[in-house]
Amino acid sequence: MFVARSIAADHKDLIHDVSYDFHGRRMATCSSDQSVKVWDKSESGEWHCTASWKTHSGSVWRVTWAHPEFGQVLASCSFDRTAAVWEEIVGESNDKQRGQSHWIKRTTLVDSRTSVTDVKFAPKHMGLMLTTCSADGVVRIYEAPDVMNLSQWSLQHEISSKLSCSCISWNPSSSRAHPPMIAVGSDDSCVTYGGKVQIYEYNENTRKYAKAETLMTVTDPVHDLAFAPNLGRSFHVLAVATKDVRIFKLMPMRKETATSSGPTKFEVQIMAQFDHHNSQVWRVSWNITSTLLASSGDDGCVRLWKANYMDNWKCTGILKGDGSPVIGSSGQPVALSAAGGSSALASQNALNGVMAGRKKAQLMPG
Amino acid sequence: CSLGYGGSKPDILWSPHHVDRYVICDSELSLYRIESLGSTEAKAGVIQLSEETAATLLAINSDTPYMKCVAWYPKHEPECLLAVGQANGRVVLTSLGQSHNSKCKELMGKEFVPKHARQCNTLSWNPADSNWLAAGLDKHRADFSVLIWDISSKYAPEATVPPEKIRLPSGDADVGTVVTKPLYELGQNDACLSLCWLPRDQKLLLAGMHRNLAIFDLRNTSQKMFVNTKAIQGVTVDPFFHDRVASFFEGQVAIWDLRKFEKPVLTLSEQPKPLTKVAWCPTRAGLLATLTRDSNVVRLYDMQHAPTPIGDETEPTIIERSVQPCESFISSFAWHPSAQNRMVVVSPNRAMTDFTVFERISLAWSSTSSLMWACGRHLYDCAEERTGSEAAVESDIATKMRARAQSRYGHDTVQVWRNYVLAGGDDPQLKSLWYTLHYILPFQCPYLTLDQEQKQQGNKQTVVYSGIKNIVKSSSGTTESRRSWSDSDRQGDVVRYHSEERSLALRLCGWIGRGPDVDVEPFLRSLEQEGEWERAAAVALFNLDIRRAIQILNKGASSEKGDLNLNVVAMALSGHTDEKSSLWREMCSSLRLQLRSPYLRASFAFLTSEPGAYDGVLYESRVAVRDRVAFACMFLSDTQLSRYIDKLTNEMKEAGNLEGILLTGLTKDGVDLMESYVDRTGDVQTASFCMLKGSPGEVVKDPRVQCWIENYRNLLDAWRFWHKRAEFDIHRSKLDPSSKPLAQVFVSCNFCGKSISYSCSAMPHQGRSFSQYGVSGSPTKSKVTSCPGCRKPLPRCALCLMNMGTPVSSCPGTGKSDEKVDLSKDKKLAQFNNWFTWCHNCRHGGHAGHMLSWFRDHTECPVSACTCKCMQLDTTGNLVPSDTT
Repeated sequence: MFVARSIAADHKDLIHDVSYDFHGRRMATCSSDQSVKVWDKSESGEWHCTASWKTHSGSVWRVTWAHPEFGQVLASCSFDRTAAVWEEIVGESNDKQRGQSHWIKRTTLVDSRTSVTDVKFAPKHMGLMLTTCSADGVVRIYEAPDVMNLSQWSLQHEISSKLSCSCISWNPSSSRAHPPMIAVGSDDSCVTYGGKVQIYEYNENTRKYAKAETLMTVTDPVHDLAFAPNLGRSFHVLAVATKDVRIFKLMPMRKETATSSGPTKFEVQIMAQFDHHNSQVWRVSWNITSTLLASSGDDGCVRLWKANYMDNWKCTGILKGDGSPVIGSSGQPVALSAAGGSSALASQNALNGVMAGRKKAQLMPG
Repeated sequence: CSLGYGGSKPDILWSPHHVDRYVICDSELSLYRIESLGSTEAKAGVIQLSEETAATLLAINSDTPYMKCVAWYPKHEPECLLAVGQANGRVVLTSLGQSHNSKCKELMGKEFVPKHARQCNTLSWNPADSNWLAAGLDKHRADFSVLIWDISSKYAPEATVPPEKIRLPSGDADVGTVVTKPLYELGQNDACLSLCWLPRDQKLLLAGMHRNLAIFDLRNTSQKMFVNTKAIQGVTVDPFFHDRVASFFEGQVAIWDLRKFEKPVLTLSEQPKPLTKVAWCPTRAGLLATLTRDSNVVRLYDMQHAPTPIGDETEPTIIERSVQPCESFISSFAWHPSAQNRMVVVSPNRAMTDFTVFERISLAWSSTSSLMWACGRHLYDCAEERTGSEAAVESDIATKMRARAQSRYGHDTVQVWRNYVLAGGDDPQLKSLWYTLHYILPFQCPYLTLDQEQKQQGNKQTVVYSGIKNIVKSSSGTTESRRSWSDSDRQGDVVRYHSEERSLALRLCGWIGRGPDVDVEPFLRSLEQEGEWERAAAVALFNLDIRRAIQILNKGASSEKGDLNLNVVAMALSGHTDEKSSLWREMCSSLRLQLRSPYLRASFAFLTSEPGAYDGVLYESRVAVRDRVAFACMFLSDTQLSRYIDKLTNEMKEAGNLEGILLTGLTKDGVDLMESYVDRTGDVQTASFCMLKGSPGEVVKDPRVQCWIENYRNLLDAWRFWHKRAEFDIHRSKLDPSSKPLAQVFVSCNFCGKSISYSCSAMPHQGRSFSQYGVSGSPTKSKVTSCPGCRKPLPRCALCLMNMGTPVSSCPGTGKSDEKVDLSKDKKLAQFNNWFTWCHNCRHGGHAGHMLSWFRDHTECPVSACTCKCMQLDTTGNLVPSDTT
């Protein structure tokens, strides 16, 4: 059973993104209040905000960590049409003692003419590369040729997807059998434009990204997508947040000849499709082994999905956005029917947030 | 607080000051109080609005017929005063509930009557001067359509009202209950469909007129600012941005900026059905809710991030959402005045639903399986907590791999089968895998304990380790023997096959031991010990020892927690007869499928089968693969056997079933099988440990295997299991020497540029031994502190100021024992104290031991005047490994 605990975030406006670092010990949040906050987990498991600073002159949509091998580096993107790279530095003052860290801007990427809707670092094995996508439908791939100098970024590729982009996801596979691959989602609401998920693959020969696949079955706006950690599997799994949660399996077809230069052909299968969130699904996220998927949607709930050994995906948990479990989610009707006293207590607690989560959770039959 | 609605469809209005009260108005006015469900549970007449809330009816007012529009008095007192606009254009003040306020009593029933009767479309109280009530009426050619009434004619106005207004006559002769003279009259020969006061100035009134939006300034009523548009319905001001106004026309919403009023700054996507209501969210900036006729969804437009339109050419971003509060059509909705994003919707038949529009939740998994999400301005940290009742639920593979990594899973290279126990001892596939490897590996690794017999079989090595599939393929010289049941007199009823390879296979299956004898008795005894009675009985039976089988079953029945049914099975077995047409055969073959134990099913299948046709055993999928294979090796002919093994192998490969490793061995086939296993489970840990034991040339070099290993190491890194990762790397380099990393750092002399690692390395085997340079006790001790190439002195340690190469004084004895490599842990660490360390940033450094102890208490470099914070530069260095050695 999953139990939620609330953390005083102290953002002055909506939080748009949460991102963990590689080790899960640090976290970054970004908000409409134009700031980014960095959080560190203490040995006792408590989260402490160790830095908070204004990053952009508009809502900050996304924040993401680089692999720690490149240092403590964050990237953020905003409605102000820019993306920025931030690095933690050892302050001149004794910041460390006060439990505060200091972040400075290393670069601002100003190529986009419109809101930059997503920013992601490429998988570590590709070097220090950063990708952005923007509302005008352009995906940009930057590279820092010298990893010691984060102020130098060169624009390596510009992919025009023709549709307003809302999200990107790199295929994390480090296998040499899988060329670099990126999925781009569009939130364009026009259903007739066809597939809203495009997949681009790097071609060694042309040194360019070419479209390998369009998921034509996804015609509704896509709000988020996430490649599953590959973990040495022979295929790729992509979760898509659109009007429902969809999980796609992309099986690379074996190339006939080693010299064929075209992009990899995929056999695309829908592994699962869930409309439990009612209308829109906003976010999807995989755990480290890609065996659990979390999604959030218009129903204000976070849902957890898990596949059994037969690849049948099932909902294994529902939590409300405020951390309390959904009554009756385990298939049982309301668990509060037990005794009048305890039920009154439980709903009383529901109003108080955190503690209620635990109380009610325990009341629920397993 | 204005609205316009038609027909008898109910509308809903939230009290401006009481967060728990609202009014439903259709043909009458009904006041409800909303409460959380817990406190009202017992009371009757409570209408449930959601899982947590319910409403109680407090009062009904049906005094005012022909209601067209209602507006709630904006001030605290009198609290339940409402203005009702009627079909004849009259505006009546009424109230709900019993207000004892004298002011209220005075106002109650007061009527404001226009000169010419026509429908009143809209009402709006002035938010600053609450005595002013604006009414919008239909067109009349001889009259005005916007009338501003002063309700204060009979009682003392509030202090904020300028004195001149007190004297304004209401022109009323009818004992103060009927007012016919409005304060202001605007919009002659026009119609007014919607009204709203502009909060930036109490004298400005925005009106949706017949074909334009007009802003009337009461200081100069002859002038108005207007813009021609069709979007004249439902004008409403954004409470967070007073220059932003929304209005609508049919299916289209227009957003206006009053500072550049010429055209809408934005029009929202058109809806197929006409809109009935548009309302800004009072708790969240830039959130507009719209409702169309005959619809069960409320559409939300999030303009939160739209910049101020002036001087910005970009299209503002609007995030469109639709929410469905209830199943039925929605007649109207009202935002809760203070609860975040909450609204109550009412259906045409007055069913009410309490509903909250949720913010978009963003979420992320950490590498350690906790989930963080952000909802609105709040963060929630969510972790799995195991409760007793859930122990049965299988945990996720990520959790499993973490636990297994900590229990040193995979590292037991002597008693290989024990890795199954280290893995938790509850996974039958892992059990099969590690037992298989346990049987296979002694053949593969000649340096492990081998008895004489196996050494002779050295040439069979590669065959053995490539799995039973290849073993039986290479089989030659198979002999047949006709065996009889041990208690039977008749001869030769069952054909058994023998060959060297087949007995090897049986041995790999674990049925027979390593000795020259082919006795299954030890195996049976071990099964008995583990309480696998049915399996033991079946194995005994397959070895044609029906008596032993019966004995085992009896034993099982009488054992602790034994199943008495086993005796019944024994009884059935004892009736075994070879007679083809016997009743026993007939009953057994028909009833055996009802047996729950797969082994008992297989046993009876064997007993009732025709010679050579054992499908009932061979395809009993719940019988362990090793038992089925052993059975096949005994009773199938060469052609049958190889066909069966091929079929089974493919089945196992397809399913990624680790039991199949017995067949494939650690070969390419095995990698294929493991690939399906990894595809299915993601368990790269097992895959890595298992395949590392394969041949370095063929299997370990397979890109897939390398990929699993890299992924597993990456997982260990992400979990900060750095010690485990190091142990894994050591384990790996033992099995695959080519994976040993090369030296990455060399220390070179400042003067001659040659490597000085020979003299100071902690790994003497890399070069000439220490003693050659006379490290310790020798007369040439000084040489150690200088470059072996050019004899120039090495740099000094920043702390002890001795030349590097001098042993650290605080670790006595290290200098002496260096020539002998002492493997004790303490000594290794002591050697580390002597290592060269330096900061990559400021280039200062010294003995590792000294540096470590310095930075335990300091942040700055020990070299005076150097302010480098050497240790803090390494951010990973601040992370503590989360595993222990």
